[in-house]
Amino acid sequence: MGEYLIRRTIQAIVTLFLVTVFTFALIHLAPGGPTQVMIAPGVSPEAFEVQKRNLGLDQPVHIQYLQWMGRLLQGDLGTTFKNNLPVGDILWPTVGNTLVLMIAAWLVTLIIALPWGIYNSTKVYGISDQFASIVSYLGFAMPTFWFGIILQQIFAMNLKWLPLSDMWTYGKQGDIGDLVMHLIMPVTVLSLGFLASYVKYSRASMLEVLDQDYIRTARAKGVKESRVVFRHALRNALIPIVTILGLDLPILVSGAALTESVFNWPGMGRLFVSMANAREYSVLMAIVLVTSVFVILGNLLADILYAVVDPRVQLGRKGGGSK
Amino acid sequence: MRSTWKKSLLLLICVLLVGGMLAACANKSDSNNSGSTNNSSTNNSSDTGGSSSSGGDSGDPVDGGTITLATFSDIVTVNPIFVNDTSSGDAVVFLMAKLYDLNREGLVTAEPWSIAAEEPIISDDGLTYTVKLKNYAKWSDGTPITADDIIFTVETIMNEDTGSPLIASFDKIEKITKIDDYTVEFKLSDVYAPFIYSLTFEPAPAHVLKGVPVKELQGHPYGKDVKTTVTSGPWVWKEWTQGQQLVFERNPNYWGEVKPKIQTVVYKIYADQNTEVQALLRGDVDHVSAIPVTANDAVKQDPNITLILEPGPQYEFMSFNFDGKNFPSGKSLFESQKTRQAIAYALDREGMIENVLKGTGILMNSPFLPGTWADPGDKATHYEYNPEKAKQLLAEDGWVMNEKTGILEKDGVPFSFELQYNAGNSRREQVSQVIQNNLAEVGIEVKTAGIDFSAWVEQNLNPGKYQAILLAWSLGNPDPDAESIFSSKYFPPDGQNMGWYVNKELDKLWEEGYKVTDQAKRTEIYHKIGEIISEDLPYVFLYRYGNAIGIGPRVHYAEEDAPEPSLAYGYFFHVINWWVE
Repeated sequence: MGEYLIRRTIQAIVTLFLVTVFTFALIHLAPGGPTQVMIAPGVSPEAFEVQKRNLGLDQPVHIQYLQWMGRLLQGDLGTTFKNNLPVGDILWPTVGNTLVLMIAAWLVTLIIALPWGIYNSTKVYGISDQFASIVSYLGFAMPTFWFGIILQQIFAMNLKWLPLSDMWTYGKQGDIGDLVMHLIMPVTVLSLGFLASYVKYSRASMLEVLDQDYIRTARAKGVKESRVVFRHALRNALIPIVTILGLDLPILVSGAALTESVFNWPGMGRLFVSMANAREYSVLMAIVLVTSVFVILGNLLADILYAVVDPRVQLGRKGGGSK
Repeated sequence: MRSTWKKSLLLLICVLLVGGMLAACANKSDSNNSGSTNNSSTNNSSDTGGSSSSGGDSGDPVDGGTITLATFSDIVTVNPIFVNDTSSGDAVVFLMAKLYDLNREGLVTAEPWSIAAEEPIISDDGLTYTVKLKNYAKWSDGTPITADDIIFTVETIMNEDTGSPLIASFDKIEKITKIDDYTVEFKLSDVYAPFIYSLTFEPAPAHVLKGVPVKELQGHPYGKDVKTTVTSGPWVWKEWTQGQQLVFERNPNYWGEVKPKIQTVVYKIYADQNTEVQALLRGDVDHVSAIPVTANDAVKQDPNITLILEPGPQYEFMSFNFDGKNFPSGKSLFESQKTRQAIAYALDREGMIENVLKGTGILMNSPFLPGTWADPGDKATHYEYNPEKAKQLLAEDGWVMNEKTGILEKDGVPFSFELQYNAGNSRREQVSQVIQNNLAEVGIEVKTAGIDFSAWVEQNLNPGKYQAILLAWSLGNPDPDAESIFSSKYFPPDGQNMGWYVNKELDKLWEEGYKVTDQAKRTEIYHKIGEIISEDLPYVFLYRYGNAIGIGPRVHYAEEDAPEPSLAYGYFFHVINWWVE
């Protein structure tokens, strides 16, 4: 296990390095730059040059990358071009806000999707199963921003039951009740998107397992159906779902930029959009970095969870023995 | 089998959704059309009625309360030396006092909230401006605002190493002298009448920033750190939650004789303009300075919201390029004045205002804002929509229809050009299509090209490399001087005459225009310029446009303090006198 972790960590560092090189190059290749966004069109070229020099943008790209890397290794994410603010100060609060939203959406999804999928696997093509199909297609097909706007129109504008947008009402920061009210609509929108796949996956996974010989054996022995489903089938059916959970973890972090924009949620997705418009390279790089770290962690976590859910899975090369 | 079934179900759902959306849209526009005129008139009357009754002798303004404002981008800094974006500028309105303010007519004035005590005294030769300061104006930390602050700010802006976006407004200054603590003298190198507008800046505190090397000023916490940013205006800075909101509180030690009435100002940042409008309609927000044109109708329907439809101080135009290098034949297609006039006649500008701008626009025939003192009015040539006249002028100019292609030709060169605009600007996208259709009618082929804004500025605008563009100028101050846009002294890449336009007579007139300070004389010169330029057409001037201002029912102001859309930041005109209930 220890060796396995070390190996994965080294892999992760190499991957991260490649991701940063690639993203840095891409971001700098994009036309325009921070100076163009900062200065109105028509201002004299000298003003641009002064700005570029002040910002260190007159250096070749590889030098800029090395400078950025050097600072990063000292734990410094850099500062914004336009107002010299530490990137961390801008980024970390949004990471927290995004996590609040995403974890809520994820929990709601799991609480609904897993039982529903399991139930449907026992009554294939029943009414509930058909209904789940419709919900899934809706979830896949409906643009999230559109669904969000519809919800806002009904529940915030017409009925006035729920707040329109934001994370807190001004002056109520820290009030959990207020937060929950603000969470309802964005969580609904996000959950519908997640729900589609999770109901399908858990149903398919259960069906596959329920078809196995040992289940038939259990049934033949006269084990109660509920015990067959929850005791014998569920644990095995969870394995592929754990994989998907791990793979979806980065979505939690990178956030749903559109949903965050519609509901004005102060998260990382919204930050990414506005910083991309402003060509704030250092913030963009930091977001990419954070997201990459979570992708790698998500994969690692999924691997480790396998071992927990399925004792047959062994981590590490030499991990033969202890059964 | 199963997969085709899935696909058809998917398709069905899509159709249903789209169908539903269309139906919803159709309903909405129907009801708008039937009620729009009524609604706008009730809006207007309820506005003036409400404010004048509360603003008159009977109703006293209410003291205290919170106003919530909306924007769609965060501020950069409130250090006035570096402010270059609308959101930061908005914040500065509340936090910083100006040396001089503009009155409703756009003239430089010493208001009770200006730092200057009286209007500047201009010497007879027009070279020296003497400015007297109030001797009781103070920074929020109690330090008096003196001549040192004024001189420090101007000298810092003039220093190239600072990188201030305001540098051009002070480039005519030869010398600044401190006469005494409250008197400053500006000496200019040449007579330059628009200089008076340069005096409407906000000073930065010398006692805080004096020791900072200029190159480090932009990175200095002043203007970004809430606690240490010393301000001079009616409100002080209380909070900045990045990407979410700024909060200003009434300055308890405000020096002005007129005190602000509103206690707390919350400046909320939304992800986009449509979200702002929703918040305004719901009552979460009291003031939206820029309502997207597409939302005008929705806002009009709400009788509680005052919608101010007058366009702002900016105009859109189609610029011709006169540099032959940009054309495959080596010769600009727009060299002849008759051709340019024909294009002006071929364009349905009224139609653009009605259909694309939803009425928030005013036709322009010269580069001066309609209704301002420089506006030549009827003296400028007006090009009504007249495709027949356009065809006739083109024929007179030697353009012959190629029956095979349906495009006009002259010496074997087809009349076909590329019209660029910035991608994502839906107004320009729609207007470029109107232009394309209008010109196709008279036999000119237009290829429209939407380009990413910053790439466009870098690769096309700054070097002057394009055939034709759709762009707008926004006029930061009401002075009509536009030499740097139209004079051949200002070719790219150093100047803003991006279309390489040359007109010697105009070159001379632009110069004369700022070389006299006498108002009557200047008026005459600019009218003359308007007359010539509207005939010669370096641009087709399209329209003055803008975003409507939306104000919620809680906000009140007397009539003389109502927002003034024609001024920059005029949507907060006299905000010190506004009140909420």
